[in-house]
Amino acid sequence: MAASSVCALSLGTPYVPPHRLAGAVLDGDSTLAGIVVTELRVPRLVLALVAGACLGAAGLVLQEALRNPLAVPEMLGVSSGAALGVAAPLVLTLSLPAAVQPLLAIGGAALGGGLTLLAAGLGRSPSAVLLTGAAVAAALQAALLVLMVMADQLDLQLIYRYLLGSLSARTWDDIAGLWPWLLVAVPALVLCAPVLSVMRLGDEDAEALGVRAQRARLAALAIAVVLIAPVTAVCGPVAWVGFLAPHLARWFNPAAGAVRWLPWSAAWGAAVVTVADVPARLALAPVETPAGAWTALLGVPAGVALMRSGGRGRAARSASAVGKALRGPRTAVSGAADEVPRAGALDEARREEAGAGGTRPSPSRPTGREDAR
Amino acid sequence: MCAGVELVAGRGMSPGVVWDVVNGGGDATARHIFFQLRLPRLLVSLGAGACLAVAGLVLQSALRNPLAGPEVTGVTPGAVLGAVTATALGLAGWDSPLAVVLAACTGGCAGAALLWLLAGRGRGDPAQTAVHGVLVSAVLGGLTAMVLLVEPGELGSVVQWLVGTTEGRVWQHWHLLWPWALVWGAGAWLLAGPLTLLRCGDDIALTAGLSVRPARTLALLCAVALTAGAVAAVGALGFVGLLVPHLAVAVFGADLRVSLPGAALVGAVVVCGADAAAQLSSRLPAPPGLDSGRFTLPVGALTACLGAALLLVVVRRTPSRTF
Repeated sequence: MAASSVCALSLGTPYVPPHRLAGAVLDGDSTLAGIVVTELRVPRLVLALVAGACLGAAGLVLQEALRNPLAVPEMLGVSSGAALGVAAPLVLTLSLPAAVQPLLAIGGAALGGGLTLLAAGLGRSPSAVLLTGAAVAAALQAALLVLMVMADQLDLQLIYRYLLGSLSARTWDDIAGLWPWLLVAVPALVLCAPVLSVMRLGDEDAEALGVRAQRARLAALAIAVVLIAPVTAVCGPVAWVGFLAPHLARWFNPAAGAVRWLPWSAAWGAAVVTVADVPARLALAPVETPAGAWTALLGVPAGVALMRSGGRGRAARSASAVGKALRGPRTAVSGAADEVPRAGALDEARREEAGAGGTRPSPSRPTGREDAR
Repeated sequence: MCAGVELVAGRGMSPGVVWDVVNGGGDATARHIFFQLRLPRLLVSLGAGACLAVAGLVLQSALRNPLAGPEVTGVTPGAVLGAVTATALGLAGWDSPLAVVLAACTGGCAGAALLWLLAGRGRGDPAQTAVHGVLVSAVLGGLTAMVLLVEPGELGSVVQWLVGTTEGRVWQHWHLLWPWALVWGAGAWLLAGPLTLLRCGDDIALTAGLSVRPARTLALLCAVALTAGAVAAVGALGFVGLLVPHLAVAVFGADLRVSLPGAALVGAVVVCGADAAAQLSSRLPAPPGLDSGRFTLPVGALTACLGAALLLVVVRRTPSRTF
């Protein structure tokens, strides 16, 4: 993360060597390099870190709450909904105060996520949630594309770039709008983390421990929406970060619980977005590519690979939890375990886990670092 | 009836003039509009609708998943990517439909091949296949975005591919579409028996003496080919392949020998009706702040909105044990 941060600050035109960075920041407005670094690159880096952390944490909350390794913002229609809420006024040339934008995004995100969960039912199998989410996201995307057809060419560029998630031309003013939302979201996250680890046990066990499963899910969705929507309002839904970051966190620390994964997931999210932003700025210079395109291209395969190598035991456990919750044999969508143990086979899965506990899959380092190319 | 509305709707000709043209009258302009623009547009929308619906029904039967559709098999995004890439490289322009169609077919087949590799060469179970399909679609979408951002000039003309539209389809498109659709549609219909067995579950199909894997692979091939053809003709028309099959099964029953042609019929009617509605909407007063002359609603937008609403109904009604 540190390396990519330094890259983010020093590469580009003009090139500022790393050892001069401190000087450039202190100079502030007196030199060209100082202005570029303080007014353009530092806010961009801060935004990348914050946005990535938000998306990563939101992805983990959703995945844990729905006990579904594929429940990510993109798949639930949350991201598309938020983007729709932001893009609509842009195209229809309504001038709105800046404070309303996150509200619109939140409305859209809640609409998308709510629609998916309403359709798929809260406790359905992962693949059902996934397919419904894909369909809802497609519908929202179509609405967006209609808006794009109506827009003129210049807007079109801007909107399309934004839809994928791009950090270009974001300054301190844009970031200032994020803080109040974060102040709401972070305490909520801290409060919900223990509940999340209980949710892993399956609905019945969670109910027995005094957690109202359905309400907890809705709360998790609400928290995820509050985390995602403001970020979306500022720089678009950076695609698939919410999928990749939690899986990275799990893969590097398979034994931990949801409480420990949450900060790691946020950290990985921040790292992923920062790393992806470097090629986004430099790969096809002077044209900027959106960071979201890179995260989509590299994040999905990497995430799938992580999911598959994620250790049989854990996959079996989550699968059995799904199977248990759904009261019946069911196919789970967790790469390694195709065969779901019959309901109540938790003990079996635990034994299996104990067996597989020590065998970490041979780490194929490139997965996380690929985007550094 | 839909066809009639389709021919009449749209700007530039009043219904009376259309009637004249059909009866052999009308002036040269009207005749040209009718025979060179409206008629092929009608035929293409019928053909594409039929293709998508059949492909969707075949997919849903073969994968035993009521939510499988061409959108989640990587075929549609692959075809879009093919078309966009060809346009960006300058290999195909809007003046050469043949090249675009070829590129879209290639892309669609590539997307399906990618899915097939990922999902374990046909031995993956239905749920896995569907999930991998969504992920493949996401990656292809990212690639499409990259191409578009490198070639920003193409964006305006390509957006219609992403939504699905029947604007400006001419005889050339129709000539390319119908043989393809006919061949693969016939293939799908020949597979109707085995598919009906597959719908019942692998165990029953095996007991009845069907070799499951070859049958499923052939069916998927048919579905991919039909989807690629339709997308090459009209772009990524959303939800037709996902929801029309449900309508068809509800109307014609679950015997695919009957409901496959039924699905083709329903799909054609739905797309044609949506297109007619979209054309009619272009006559409405345009929303403020927009150039009214340029604004027409793409068909894909309508089908997507209808589809999302219907989807809620379908998913709520399906018992959760089926997937």
